[in-house]
Amino acid sequence: MHILKRTKRNVHPYVPELREQYRNGKVTRREFLRMATLLGMSVAGANVFLDGKQAAAAPMMRQDIKRGGTMTIATRVPRVDHPARFSWIEGVNEFRQVCEYLTRTDWDNITEPWLLESWEANETVDEWTLHVRQGIKFNDGSDFTAEDVVFNFQQWLDPDVGSSMLGLMSYLQPTNIEMVDDYTVKLYLDVPQIGVPENLFHYPAMIVPKTFEGDLTRQPIGTGPFLLDEYIETERAVFVRREDYWRMGADGDPLPYLDKLVFVDLGEEESARIAALQSGQVDNIYNPGADVWQAVKDLPGINVYSAPTAQTFHIRMRVDQPPFDDVRVRQALKKCIDRQKMLDLAWFGEGVLGHDSAVAPVHPEYCSKPIPAYDPEGAKALLAEAGYPDGLEVELSTQQARAEPAMAQSLKETAAAGGFDIKLNILPSAQYWDVWTEVPLGITIWAHRPLGIIVPALAFTTDAEGNPGPWNETRWVDEEYIALLRQAESTLEVEARRAIMCQMEDIEAERSGHGIAFFTSVWYVCHERFQGVRAHPTNYDLFDEVWDAEA
Amino acid sequence: MLRYILRRLGFMLLTMLLVSIVVFLVSEVAPGDVARHVLGQFATDEQVELLRNQMGLNQPLYVRYFDWLVGNDWRHDSKVGMPLTYTRARPGDELEWWAVEPDGTLVQWRMKSGSLEQIRITTDGERTLVPFDEWDTNKDGEEIFWGVDNANHVVLWVKGSEDSTGPASAGRTMTKGGGREYYPLKKGLLRGDPGISLRTNRPVGPTLTRRLRNSFSLAVIAFAFIMPIALLLGILAGLREGSPADRAISLFSLITTSIPEFASGVFLILVFSFWLDLLPGASVFVDDSTPLENPKMIVLPILTLTLVEVGYVARMTRASMVEVMNAPYIRTAVLKGLPYRRIVFVHALRNALMAPITVIMLHVNWLVGGIVVVEAVYGYPGVGLYLLDSAMFKDINAIEAGSMVMVALAVSTQLIADIIYTFLNPRIRYT
Repeated sequence: MHILKRTKRNVHPYVPELREQYRNGKVTRREFLRMATLLGMSVAGANVFLDGKQAAAAPMMRQDIKRGGTMTIATRVPRVDHPARFSWIEGVNEFRQVCEYLTRTDWDNITEPWLLESWEANETVDEWTLHVRQGIKFNDGSDFTAEDVVFNFQQWLDPDVGSSMLGLMSYLQPTNIEMVDDYTVKLYLDVPQIGVPENLFHYPAMIVPKTFEGDLTRQPIGTGPFLLDEYIETERAVFVRREDYWRMGADGDPLPYLDKLVFVDLGEEESARIAALQSGQVDNIYNPGADVWQAVKDLPGINVYSAPTAQTFHIRMRVDQPPFDDVRVRQALKKCIDRQKMLDLAWFGEGVLGHDSAVAPVHPEYCSKPIPAYDPEGAKALLAEAGYPDGLEVELSTQQARAEPAMAQSLKETAAAGGFDIKLNILPSAQYWDVWTEVPLGITIWAHRPLGIIVPALAFTTDAEGNPGPWNETRWVDEEYIALLRQAESTLEVEARRAIMCQMEDIEAERSGHGIAFFTSVWYVCHERFQGVRAHPTNYDLFDEVWDAEA
Repeated sequence: MLRYILRRLGFMLLTMLLVSIVVFLVSEVAPGDVARHVLGQFATDEQVELLRNQMGLNQPLYVRYFDWLVGNDWRHDSKVGMPLTYTRARPGDELEWWAVEPDGTLVQWRMKSGSLEQIRITTDGERTLVPFDEWDTNKDGEEIFWGVDNANHVVLWVKGSEDSTGPASAGRTMTKGGGREYYPLKKGLLRGDPGISLRTNRPVGPTLTRRLRNSFSLAVIAFAFIMPIALLLGILAGLREGSPADRAISLFSLITTSIPEFASGVFLILVFSFWLDLLPGASVFVDDSTPLENPKMIVLPILTLTLVEVGYVARMTRASMVEVMNAPYIRTAVLKGLPYRRIVFVHALRNALMAPITVIMLHVNWLVGGIVVVEAVYGYPGVGLYLLDSAMFKDINAIEAGSMVMVALAVSTQLIADIIYTFLNPRIRYT
């Protein structure tokens, strides 16, 4: 039990206390695993620490596994260059097969070391030690070492590269990264931050070798289980099995089990993807929306997997412009949301209701609150108080995609009783992303993030000069809220963090510029012959342990 | 006749020129920003601005248009002080812009850790990297250098300017301490280069060629199916005006033409793919094979096109046939006792085909339009889907190249129709 020894030796002082909380029923097992892995334990190690024995992971029998086979995935094949500049998850999912991350947030929202052997944080959570896994080679034959890790950090933090990691890791200066030895890197943060391991699995944080020059299609070099065979933008991407991948399968040979992955681009039209899935030309549809889910869920031979997420749609109002600069008008509009109806209409009821806070029930630090009722009379009264006794005409902009048009329609209907006359402006996606931070009233999709503190840090804060940050689409800046957020970001203990979140969620619901009606589930649609497939909350395609029962 | 054809070809070029200007203008005023699209929803305004700069989108409209039309290397080579060429440095490389030294050595420059580096490829194909330090001094005393980077731009680099104007951080190539000014190099359509797609960052030419091949396979096969069937149905119906066969054909034509492709396509998928499980419901090309090597995959797209087009051409043919069959000269032919077969094939048909030929030729354009819809429904990787995606993306080089092909097709089919008239009706002469 090598893992047991290592985790015992390096165990973070907080972990035993956490175990006490688990035994007293204060945290769930899942929360314990999450926190323990956050503090640098592997999932297996944390299970051992909790029970003194290996958790009963589903035993995978050697004879069960079949090798070989090809999986075909209907998706988009976008232009890519530097992974640090990735912008579309479709391209990320393609190159994720070639390049890996330092950590991995799995299907259950638990983050564990991946290209790292382990990590440690000091007690004040502002000094992190990353232990790089030894013996891993890039597919060009070079060794993966701490030097590569430092190179990648420098790329992310280099403003010239233009990575969104730079904003995410605003707590780290490029000069505060120390290479201790060939397999150890230390990070000295400006402020405490508990989300470092999660941030290392943020999609642009793909690890490339130190010789990387800026274009993945020209230099497809990574540590991952597949090799790039062909990449034709807007048509297809083909990947073939790598023979010397570092992880072993249950049968004792190197992963992956599949021989080949083909990602085909069938355009934006959903009907083509559904027909292709039905007739067996593709095995898997990337990120199906509610309509696609409806169409394929009962198809024979197709399995639909589902996962709860924190993916949501912000009904957001600019607080720096009339009429939404008046908090009463914002509250009135939030009272006009009929949450259950909206979820039913927009996502066939597949999700959980929200209470105008970006913290979702899947987040470890979520603080449960009552769901606000639909209250058009209350809205009318608030509008009258704000100086609009005869109601108010506003324009709602959003994109022609997924849940947004149905949500907009639902809000238009339910808000009419509350005194709002909403004009809809449904734009093609490309055009909405041109103006998403600018329109006075809009509906914007926000992707799932593994911790409850991440979206607030991106969406409800200021930049260094104190102006609303680049993604702060509502321009809502509340000093009390931000102070609480900073406190939460340095609070490891989950109950203490939850207590802070309780206050934050209240402030958000009361004063902020966004209404959050629900959090959706994501689906993963795949042919039933593929085993080891699950829905990932961020729609990530993790194929290294997937195998084809009919290969 | 020859003069007529030449004049028509001249008009065709003029039409293409006008269309290219209109497309440029329309795409200019259309909402959406290609740089924003490339970078994704979460790019900051600074990143978008820098990429626009690298793509040359911040230059005046007329400059961009003429760059697209006639290229700009001849305007910019004086900056670099060396001739520029668009070539494959070694066999198998991508087409790239290079500066050429007198002995034929190809040169690019790039920024590496704050200093310039020269990429040199000799005529023997030997590639070397050489540190470069031949900076010039401008009138403000800054050390500057004009060169060609490895992403097809003429770039003005300023020494030690890392924190001043900064490089285009979101561009294709990582350019630490990159340039102050960027001019994307173009050879120009008139010199045979449709440019680089802003969406894929690859040359438009090869993609468009592949897409055109796929679409033409579809269109030609569909055409070969549609026209004989449509003409036959139309003639049959026209010969027996008012008969049950005529009524049946007319009804069928009316129904199929009035259902648009996106509806009939989905309906066909439902029947042949979902219920009968006979044919694949989408066109999925997992390797380099051509549509003709995957005949099953193109059956439904062709069927969809056929359904829409057959009825229209058949109705036209029928009307024309009815008119001719009622003409006095046909009655005369009947009265003088000519065999029915001879009346139809020798006397009626040639005249009756005048109108359908016009319609058929116009229908080549309709077919092309229909193909856009059909390709979207079946996810067929043809030029229609390419144009649609490019238009959504505001990928101007791809839209222009695609439109030029479409215009050429439309105008030249009309020319062909005119030439066919002269064979059908000897009274028609063009001068």
